[in-house]
Amino acid sequence: MAPLALLDNVSYTYPGRSAPALRNVTLQFGAAEVVLVLGGSGSGKSTLLRALNGLVPHFHGGSFAGHVLVAGKDTRSTRPKDLAGIAGLVFQDPENQAVMTTVEREIAFGLENLGMDAQMITRLVEESLISLGLSRLRRAELATLSGGELQKVALAAVIAMQPQLLLLDEPTSQLDPVSSEELLAAVRRLAEDTGATILLAEHRVERCLHLATRVIYMEDGAVAADGEPQWFARWAAEERRELLPPVTRLFARRLNGHLPQAEPEELPMTVKDARRLLDSVSQAPRLLHPAPPAGLSAPAGASVLEVRGLVAGYPPDDPVLDHVDLALGAGELVALMGENGAGKSTLVRHLNGLARPLAGSVRLLGRNLSDLSVAEAARDCAVLGQNPNAYFVRETVAEEIDYTLQSLGITGVERARLASAAVDELDLHQLLDRNARDLSGGERTRVALAAVACAEPALLVLDEPTRGMDPAHKSALSSLLRRWAAAGRCVIVVTHDVEFAARTADRVVVLGNGGVLADGAVHEVLHGSLFFSTQVNRLFRHTLPGVLNEDELDWGVSPQ
Amino acid sequence: MHTEGALLEAPAATSRGVVAAPARRRARWARGRPRYGLARLHPLAALACIGALLAAGFVLANPVQLAGLLVLEMAALALSRRLREARPYLRLSLYIAAFLIVINPLFSRGGLDVVWRAHLGLFDLAVTVQGLLFGLGSALRLCVVVWAFALYNVVLDADDQLAIMSSVSFRSGLVVSLATRLFPVLSRDAARISDAQRARGVELDRGRRRDRVAARLPLLGALLTQSLERATDVAESMEARGYGRRGRRAWKRGRRWHAADVFTAAAALVAAAALVCGLALGAFRFRFFPLLDNPWSTLLDPLWLIAAAALVLTCVVIPLVTESRWRR
Repeated sequence: MAPLALLDNVSYTYPGRSAPALRNVTLQFGAAEVVLVLGGSGSGKSTLLRALNGLVPHFHGGSFAGHVLVAGKDTRSTRPKDLAGIAGLVFQDPENQAVMTTVEREIAFGLENLGMDAQMITRLVEESLISLGLSRLRRAELATLSGGELQKVALAAVIAMQPQLLLLDEPTSQLDPVSSEELLAAVRRLAEDTGATILLAEHRVERCLHLATRVIYMEDGAVAADGEPQWFARWAAEERRELLPPVTRLFARRLNGHLPQAEPEELPMTVKDARRLLDSVSQAPRLLHPAPPAGLSAPAGASVLEVRGLVAGYPPDDPVLDHVDLALGAGELVALMGENGAGKSTLVRHLNGLARPLAGSVRLLGRNLSDLSVAEAARDCAVLGQNPNAYFVRETVAEEIDYTLQSLGITGVERARLASAAVDELDLHQLLDRNARDLSGGERTRVALAAVACAEPALLVLDEPTRGMDPAHKSALSSLLRRWAAAGRCVIVVTHDVEFAARTADRVVVLGNGGVLADGAVHEVLHGSLFFSTQVNRLFRHTLPGVLNEDELDWGVSPQ
Repeated sequence: MHTEGALLEAPAATSRGVVAAPARRRARWARGRPRYGLARLHPLAALACIGALLAAGFVLANPVQLAGLLVLEMAALALSRRLREARPYLRLSLYIAAFLIVINPLFSRGGLDVVWRAHLGLFDLAVTVQGLLFGLGSALRLCVVVWAFALYNVVLDADDQLAIMSSVSFRSGLVVSLATRLFPVLSRDAARISDAQRARGVELDRGRRRDRVAARLPLLGALLTQSLERATDVAESMEARGYGRRGRRAWKRGRRWHAADVFTAAAALVAAAALVCGLALGAFRFRFFPLLDNPWSTLLDPLWLIAAAALVLTCVVIPLVTESRWRR
């Protein structure tokens, strides 16, 4: 039986680039496969998906070698618009892929292009709305939807076209955990119900490894590993352990640590699998160090931020934040967590004076922010928002850093010293003469971070810095933040990423229901929570209370 | 300040509580924006009404009649509950109207009743009553036209506009739709970029106007770049979804015609017919120069009365009746 899609020795280079984005890629995909495509930023995942619907090379240009056949059609001679009914692509950013203004019109757009009759369009729009639980939003304007709802609409718009090959390019990278779970559940249902082949490019492997029937790992544009999930897990356990979900990593360590032959050699993909496996192994892991007792956290340094009775948000009679109190000291590394709409971003906007409280006060290093302009507060409080692109207004990376220092009125030797320190700290030497907008996602985040933090402010706030970040970059960011905290800065990271928070933060503040739901040491807050807890914690909640990461456990055999 | 213990006893309840506020706010809009007045009508009926108002704006010259049209347009906006969205159009039209009222009399030379005479360099200025009223008439006419466009933009949503324009030119309609959708996105981008720059110490609101403009100039470049990147992304998404294929068919959501739609469209057609007849017969002729016609004389013309009654019916009576029946 002929494969649904075939890549034959495909190499591709984007225009103006010297390094190829795809190198001699040969793959084939049959019907009803769910393929998870993994790889770091710039590894070629997105390019692979675009090659499969012809956007590469037709839309992007560049040099293309080899052949891609989709349902027997060669993408060299078939334009993407003519492949639209066969291969559907959902992009990363839901805001940038919408064409129309209301939900049902947006879903109908592709069907109209396929030339379907009105009756069929009505039926398919209706079925897509139902299948993704969007019926109640059918006439809603896209501008009023949340990111999760928008991404579901994008998925509905593509599945309505009934493609045989569904390509999903990091569809959850802009979403919070709840929206991500909902979207991936919809994808799973779709795979089961329609038998379409799905290629899912993702970084959050713990959310989707168990959905896959096959995993491809890409590195520098080439396929480094390709196999079914168990095979991939065992391969990654040897070669790229950071790619695996925490529970898989935990069992992989045991596997590498002289696993007795009699023991089962399967690696778990989910907490449920791990729980089952744990029952069957002869030796359970033990805690390397006892968890810190509840209520004990690293002593905070001098007061940096004091939020008292903060009331904020709209409408005033139903504020998002209602009498919030928070105090942070020097050297603290705090993860600020909570559901979408809990008021995290609202709180962040009050920390540097971008928004003014309806009631209460925010004091930064003892000064009331209501008495300062945002620019005046910027010397002591740097905020990195969710979109690094918003910071880039100069031609080169070096000018971006200098522009901040100039704006803050820092001159002479001090200016040179701070610029040089920021470049060293974020390893930007190779990028100084480049335009920040030409860089990869991870590099852009580093440059934006340098641009806001170069004046060494006492308080540094990062809003969702790990969105769309691969494990290697996450790990590097975690180390950097810990270094900054160790140097006496107060760092707040707003994040949905519980695993990142567990590895990085000393203290966790959970916002919800208009106030602070929990505030304490990381182990104290994350342990036992149903929603804000790590995979390893969920696994050992009752047997090893307080454990958050697999690094805190030992199997009793020496890992390699 | 750490509170005692972790307080995550009921995360499910927490989730509900946390999302409650935004969900409540969005729920009102979930089945589309609430529609009142003209916005509740079938798009073609609303378009007929707006078209009749626009035609009246071009045909009529009597300032009293034009002022009457403005009152009707204001009533239509208010009954549709879209006055807030129309505010920029109203403001713009008032600025231009004020300009016309000031400039026109200075250059109108046909009037006989001089109220002010001056010699400015090479110019001999003679401001006349007729010139002043001609300026007022021009300003009112401009306001009628701009407010008709305001009605079109705020009463008909972009998808309705696209559906109407698709029958003429899908591509033009799509451009309008994209521009409408991207405008709020652009505003959000501008706000994000400004906030990001303030957060790195850039003073955007301090100093003289010239300083503030200079501080914002680099932001324009960033906004333009971001808009271009976004436009490329949208174009890529459109191509991936088959835009540009041959054999495209337009889908129109089946919106049924109700009695109110039929009455509105019929009344608008009657108004338009009366206006065209009046234009052909010269019934709406109004002279400003050299002496002003009596503004009250044309008000009793039967064709004007028919057109006015039909317009009042479409803009005020039918929306009010529909609203009261809906409430019942």
